Amino acid sequence: MTSELDFAGVVSSYYQSLYQFAFSLTRSEADACDLTQQTFYVLVTKGHQMRDVSKVKTWLFTTLYREFLESRRRQTRFPHFELSQVAAELPTVTPTVVNQLDAPLVIQALTQVEEIYQAPLAMFYLEDCSYKDIADILGVPIGTVKSRMSRGIAQLQRCLAVTAASASKSSGEED
Amino acid sequence: MNRQEAQEILLLYRPGRADEDNPELIEALDLVKHDPELAKWFETHCALHHAISAKFKQIDVPAGLKEQILSERKIPSVILWWRRPAVLAAATGVVLLAGLASLWLRPVPRDSFPAFRQWMVRTALRTYTMGLETNDLNQIRAYLAQRSTPADYVLPQSLEKAKGTGCDAMHWHGHGVSMVCFRSGKPLGPGEKSDLFLFVIDRSSVPGAPAGDPPQFTKVNKLMTASWTLGNKVYLLAGNGDEEFLRKFR
Repeated sequence: MTSELDFAGVVSSYYQSLYQFAFSLTRSEADACDLTQQTFYVLVTKGHQMRDVSKVKTWLFTTLYREFLESRRRQTRFPHFELSQVAAELPTVTPTVVNQLDAPLVIQALTQVEEIYQAPLAMFYLEDCSYKDIADILGVPIGTVKSRMSRGIAQLQRCLAVTAASASKSSGEED
Repeated sequence: MNRQEAQEILLLYRPGRADEDNPELIEALDLVKHDPELAKWFETHCALHHAISAKFKQIDVPAGLKEQILSERKIPSVILWWRRPAVLAAATGVVLLAGLASLWLRPVPRDSFPAFRQWMVRTALRTYTMGLETNDLNQIRAYLAQRSTPADYVLPQSLEKAKGTGCDAMHWHGHGVSMVCFRSGKPLGPGEKSDLFLFVIDRSSVPGAPAGDPPQFTKVNKLMTASWTLGNKVYLLAGNGDEEFLRKFR
């Protein structure tokens, strides 16, 4: 009696959401591809250590996040932008404004959020994981996840307001 | 629960997702029904969540990524059979078979050639630094020889004519690897110093490397790679382009 993890099936089920999560973290197609591939490579080489096959999704997201953190330790290619004081005073962004923004601009706004909030926010909006999963992936209590998300959402909305204002100004200058 | 408390709870509410059934959330949702101002805020919150979430989900996944992941895999499946108690019990009675099975089913060795290739591509894409930056290929050889990584490599003629940019002496599973960087002549991206990377390692350090010439071409992540063996050395050339582009340097 042999129990196997259907590798091709697992890849089909999760490679897209893993890539989207990776891209949210890195904003680079090459790096996101690399992280996604590395995650499945780790599955092939270390997947036999997995205790519960039903947790494969959480295992994959956790692995990808750890690989990301590891890569961050080895390099400093991703700049971190501090929120300006002005941003804090801007009004909250509206759904209409967000709808008018290009997706890359929205992802770019995530880079301006404090780094500690970026991964939970990406998982929050990608909606692939429950709060419990997110807590497991980040290795922090669920209460911490929620408080990070609350602060992160507020920061992201302010960043989007800045992005929208900037996009609108650029568009006005072009006209 | 007042309106502000309800807003704090509802801020984490994801419409359409049964995240949790906690009493606080139920109470907050109930308050929405009786507080028009809160209801208006909640409606905006849900719309905003949908809008932002939709943008995240619009991230395009590159074509071919799935096929690439599957092609990089060298064993048929991740075997978990030994975790089953019944199988484990049976296996103890068939020691010889279990021994054979463990040989068949062991995972891809981390020191295999595909692992080497993937690691080096990762290095080229993300983390490499050049210990020596120079256009002088002789200086590059001397630098690598001093650091006991392969220096007696044979460069393909066309690569010999390319502009060297530097090198680094690296280690992979305890074995020396020479990385020699070049410019192909294509415009480089911002901050880039090289776009062609040649990795050289002793043949005995990488099981499963291509047996000889001509090279094997494989796309790994964003880079095309050419791998070949010459003498007692394994060569891996990686560059940003298609097979035709890389053939020019091989």
